[in-house]
Amino acid sequence: MNAAAQNRGGKIVAANNLYTAILALAFLVVAATAAFVAVKCHLQYGTIFTIPIP
Amino acid sequence: MSALTKILIILLAFSSFFLCGIVVTYVATEDNYKEKYDSQRKRAQVAIADKNRAEKLLEERKNAYEQQEDKLNAKIALLVSEAKDIGNKLTSEQRTNANLLKSVSDMTSVVETSDQTAQLQTQLFKDAQAKLQLALAKQEKDQRELDELSKSLMQKMAIIDDLEIQKKRLAEEKVELQAKLANFLQPAGKVIVEPLLVTPKIGFAQPVDIRIRNIGTSDVGAGDVGTRDIGLHGLITDVKMKHSMAQISIGIAHGVKENMKFYVTRDSKFVCEIRIIDVDNEKSVGLLERVELEPRVGDTIATNL
Repeated sequence: MNAAAQNRGGKIVAANNLYTAILALAFLVVAATAAFVAVKCHLQYGTIFTIPIP
Repeated sequence: MSALTKILIILLAFSSFFLCGIVVTYVATEDNYKEKYDSQRKRAQVAIADKNRAEKLLEERKNAYEQQEDKLNAKIALLVSEAKDIGNKLTSEQRTNANLLKSVSDMTSVVETSDQTAQLQTQLFKDAQAKLQLALAKQEKDQRELDELSKSLMQKMAIIDDLEIQKKRLAEEKVELQAKLANFLQPAGKVIVEPLLVTPKIGFAQPVDIRIRNIGTSDVGAGDVGTRDIGLHGLITDVKMKHSMAQISIGIAHGVKENMKFYVTRDSKFVCEIRIIDVDNEKSVGLLERVELEPRVGDTIATNL
């Protein structure tokens, strides 16, 4: 981790914006995947976390 | 930021991309198992209903089969009994057939015997036919002779009819002549004596013995045609000289007839004649004729002197 970035303005500052964007993109991809799976489960089974009872 | 951190960020990012891509691909291409479950459930329910229906149908078919089986068993029993009856009939028919075969063999021998007899009968028939031909020829000849005899018989019958007519005429003439002769002889105190016929009387269709007896009793040439005396005698019972009439003591019962003449005698003397004019049963009355002496009661009268 870059020490210069951590000290700027008392806030956490990204040492390199590129890697931050990559992390954000990864986060968005994981979130979109989770949402897609949730929607798909709800559409197909009517529930997201429980086992559907026939 | 260290190089290791950067490498980890990159690895984490790519692994996240990779994992998310796999998950999305999997979830997107995954089958809808709920729908499959529902469809399978429906199919299972339909299959259960079909099963129940099939079981019910099976039960009905089973019952129908049992009923049909019972009927068929009854029919089989009936047919078995009929088969037994038919078997019994067959046995009896076989016995009958055997008897008939035996009878046929017997009849065959009888037929052979009959054939021989028929041949013999045929020969006899031919002989009899030949005899019949001869008899027919003879019969024709006899028939011709019979026709001729019939013709002659008819002619003789016609002659006999003529003779019968002549005989009747002669008999009538005879009766007439006899009446005339009786009237002629009666005053003389005589009657006709029937002559004994030379030819015997033979009627039609008399038996032979009667004809012979008639011929035997006939006195051929024993009598002649002639007269005999009447032979009546009596007495005078009353005299009416005023009327020239006298009554005598005999009448119809003694054979006295009208116009009969009586001679009156007294002691062998001729007195007179009396011609009868009225006749009663026991007495008669007549006129006095050729009176030579006066008649008196008690004088004798006679038809013949």
